[in-house]
Amino acid sequence: MLLRYVIGRLLVGVTQLLVLTIAVFFLIRLLPADPVSRFVGLNSSDEAYAQAERNLGLDRPIGTQLAHYLGLAPDEGSGLLQGDLGTSWVTGSPVVSEIGQTLPLTLELITLSFLFAFLIAVPVGMLAALRPGGKADKAVFVYSLFAGSQPEFWWGILFVYVFFFVLGVAPPPLGILSPLTTAPPATTGFILVDSLIAGNVSAFFEALHHFMLPVGTLVFILSGPIVKMVRQNMVRALQSDFVLYARCAGLPRRVIAFYALRAAMAPAMTLIGILYGFMLGGAVLVESVFALGGIGQYAIRSILAFDYPAIQGVVLVITAISLLIYLLLDIAHAFIDPRVAY
Amino acid sequence: MLVKAGTAKEARVEGRSPVIEARNLAVRYVTATGVVTPVRDLTLTVHEREVVGLVGDAGSGKSTAALALMGVVRPPGQIASGSVMFGGRDLLGLDEDALRAIRGNEIGIIVQNPRSSLNPMLRIGRQIANVYGAHNQATSREGWDKAVDMLRMVGINDPERRVGAYAHELSGGMAQRALIAMALSSSPRLLIADEPTSGLDVTIQAQFLDEMWQTVQATGSAILLISQDLGVIANYCDRVVVLHDGAIVEDRPVGEFFADPQHPYSRSILALQKAASEADAVAKRSDGEREKLIEIRDLAKNFPIRGSKKVVQAVENLSMTIGRGETVGLVGESGSGKTTVGRCLLRLEEPTAGQIEYGGTDISAIARSGMKRFRSKLQIVFQDPYDSLNPRWSVGQVLREPLNLHTSLSTAEKTARIGELLELVGLSPDIVSAKPRDLGASTLQRVNIARAIATDPEFIVLDEPTSVLAPAAIDGLVTLLRALQAELGLSYLFISHDLTTVKYLCDRVAVMYLGQVVETGTVDQVFNAPLHPYSRSLLDSHLFPDPTDRRVDRPDREQLEGEIPSPVDLPKGCYLAGRCPHALERCRAEPQMLHDMGDQRTARCWRVAEGDLEEAGR
Repeated sequence: MLLRYVIGRLLVGVTQLLVLTIAVFFLIRLLPADPVSRFVGLNSSDEAYAQAERNLGLDRPIGTQLAHYLGLAPDEGSGLLQGDLGTSWVTGSPVVSEIGQTLPLTLELITLSFLFAFLIAVPVGMLAALRPGGKADKAVFVYSLFAGSQPEFWWGILFVYVFFFVLGVAPPPLGILSPLTTAPPATTGFILVDSLIAGNVSAFFEALHHFMLPVGTLVFILSGPIVKMVRQNMVRALQSDFVLYARCAGLPRRVIAFYALRAAMAPAMTLIGILYGFMLGGAVLVESVFALGGIGQYAIRSILAFDYPAIQGVVLVITAISLLIYLLLDIAHAFIDPRVAY
Repeated sequence: MLVKAGTAKEARVEGRSPVIEARNLAVRYVTATGVVTPVRDLTLTVHEREVVGLVGDAGSGKSTAALALMGVVRPPGQIASGSVMFGGRDLLGLDEDALRAIRGNEIGIIVQNPRSSLNPMLRIGRQIANVYGAHNQATSREGWDKAVDMLRMVGINDPERRVGAYAHELSGGMAQRALIAMALSSSPRLLIADEPTSGLDVTIQAQFLDEMWQTVQATGSAILLISQDLGVIANYCDRVVVLHDGAIVEDRPVGEFFADPQHPYSRSILALQKAASEADAVAKRSDGEREKLIEIRDLAKNFPIRGSKKVVQAVENLSMTIGRGETVGLVGESGSGKTTVGRCLLRLEEPTAGQIEYGGTDISAIARSGMKRFRSKLQIVFQDPYDSLNPRWSVGQVLREPLNLHTSLSTAEKTARIGELLELVGLSPDIVSAKPRDLGASTLQRVNIARAIATDPEFIVLDEPTSVLAPAAIDGLVTLLRALQAELGLSYLFISHDLTTVKYLCDRVAVMYLGQVVETGTVDQVFNAPLHPYSRSLLDSHLFPDPTDRRVDRPDREQLEGEIPSPVDLPKGCYLAGRCPHALERCRAEPQMLHDMGDQRTARCWRVAEGDLEEAGR
């Protein structure tokens, strides 16, 4: 049952990706941009322009370009089907490896952020829900209003000022390792995992230390909506008939709290899934503030440079991850709430 | 045994000692708009081996009172004053932990809306085990086994499998039983049952109440039975307590209560019962002379099941005529296809097969657009008065809509007509600007009727119009329907499972079971001498509000076994064969035809047709 559902969802996901790839392929080419002159300069000769156009493959008919990109013409080189996202026009290195260098950091950043946000927001939301209108509830209301109303880069800068500049407990916002530390060999690309594999504990803790402020910033921003969601659902669950009946049946308080929490969890999980997909690209402001070089920054750089293969690659990868996260959350949701059918 | 054995010897010596005594109990809600007191003054006592009925209108504070007896109040309410003595202690003076030890253990409660009272995320076995484990030393495994036992005891088929079900996988009746299993798992001394049978069909309702009653007699425990159904009260209760506007206004033995109610409110809720027994005397108009208004021939309706080739057979080969000015009752348990018939008649559902002839035109065959001119003549009143009115429209707007659609009256004429309609249904014309949320269920149902008669219809489908109303309101509505029929010459198809109302209102009646009509005849014929085994059992299970002929005083009558089969996989032969005490091999093999029994009666049973079952009949 579950396996069939997962396979079905994956097939749908692959179809979505394919359609999206094709759509993005045409949509970028609709932009009023001329990537060729971007490379050869506006004053270049016609020959140089034509040469550059040929190098980028933009002289060929658009159908041929698409077939090439998708990997339907293996004689001319590998494409999507072969797991090749093309070569970046800016750096000349494969898009796959560039994404491989930037994506893990973003994944680590936001996964850690969501983990902490979840661990903090759920108990806080519960606390607020147990006494609606109480002190905890009011504090939560003020906090979520306050945290959510100001942009994350602003909080990032403020945190840098307070924790690095004034208090000195955080490292400077200059990447994930200090420039003097040698990075452990990239096995998985995830710095926290790689440093442990390499047995380099000091690098592990250094990375954690550097994650402190960016993760803190995101947790600060993300907790607001999650707390609200948990609180709202928990309040509703506590007023529901089944909690009332549980009281009538003389169940202990902790069992009743567990009943209500479980009812409140499922919608919160959905929210987290949506936010996660959004943050994959949206963490770019925080990445920039802390000079982390994640996928968001890579995406911005590619867009500004009209680096078509890189843009397409980023869109494809972020979408694929989002779809996967949604799938995982739907499965988790079904485990929490048996009413969800596959 | 359902309930913990009391000290029976002691009771026999001293007579009946009280199990619970509530004195001047009041519940108060402080809201932003002021203080509301749903329960002002509740004083009642329930003794050992006693079933006390608590009756009162919707909103009279019954459910709030039931919870308050256990010291529970829906937030943000609080218990304002009073005392509840139970086992020598005042429950309201106990702390939470002491109360928790009593709730679910010594006092069990069954609430209304069973499905929403079950945790949707946990298997019912786990929930029952949790409750059992909260009051008894039991491992998780023992609790689960106890849950299986309890489910078996409340009559759930295949409890080993059902114990792993979730609330949403259960029918309303099964959810109700799961809740009962939970309430009884620790064998309480007092069971508070708030409309315990509201989700159950009559045959199952009777079975369940019989069992509860017997247990109380056998073990010396007690039940506070809260119900609006006077039939339930009359048949099972020893004493009746009437709650009106949050206070007890009458407290008397059941016989005296029905014979000679004291309080004006008690009199008003008993009025229908009186009228119904007098209705026997009122001569029903004779049948043969009536002009035919609607003739249904071989009506069938299937609903396809998504992702399957199977269909749900809701209605099967139904034929029936409805005369001008006649009321035909359609009765049967839930899922028998009654509502679908009503909807097909108005083409709210497209019939799968068959003809519906109205005034000589087959309205099942004409194009949808052609239906418009018939719509004004064929109307419907739905079960839920709240759901069937647009909450954003005022009463005036609701009534103006049919006039806009079907008449060419001027605005002033329409306004006059709206006033006239409201007067016809016994409402004050002042309510034209009121919104549905400002009005009660019975007023809204009258608005629905006013809307139905706005366009001078000839025929109205009444789809359980009284099922959500309190007894007094039912009486008023039924009286109104009769008055409208006399004044406007309307014909009704009255769909209901409430046989008391059907008996009062209808001329003829058709009994449905699993999409088939199993018996037709006049109300007198069917109610006084039912032929088909299903009709017999249905009438036998129905609790007429008559304390002089209590079900509990009667020896057991013929009972159907088991549950209604699924309308997806119907049996080959007679649909009732699996539950019928008279079934033979031939019943299981042959589909049953509707036999003409003479005197304009029909029955779908070959044994009845051959006269085999006369002995077993009344």
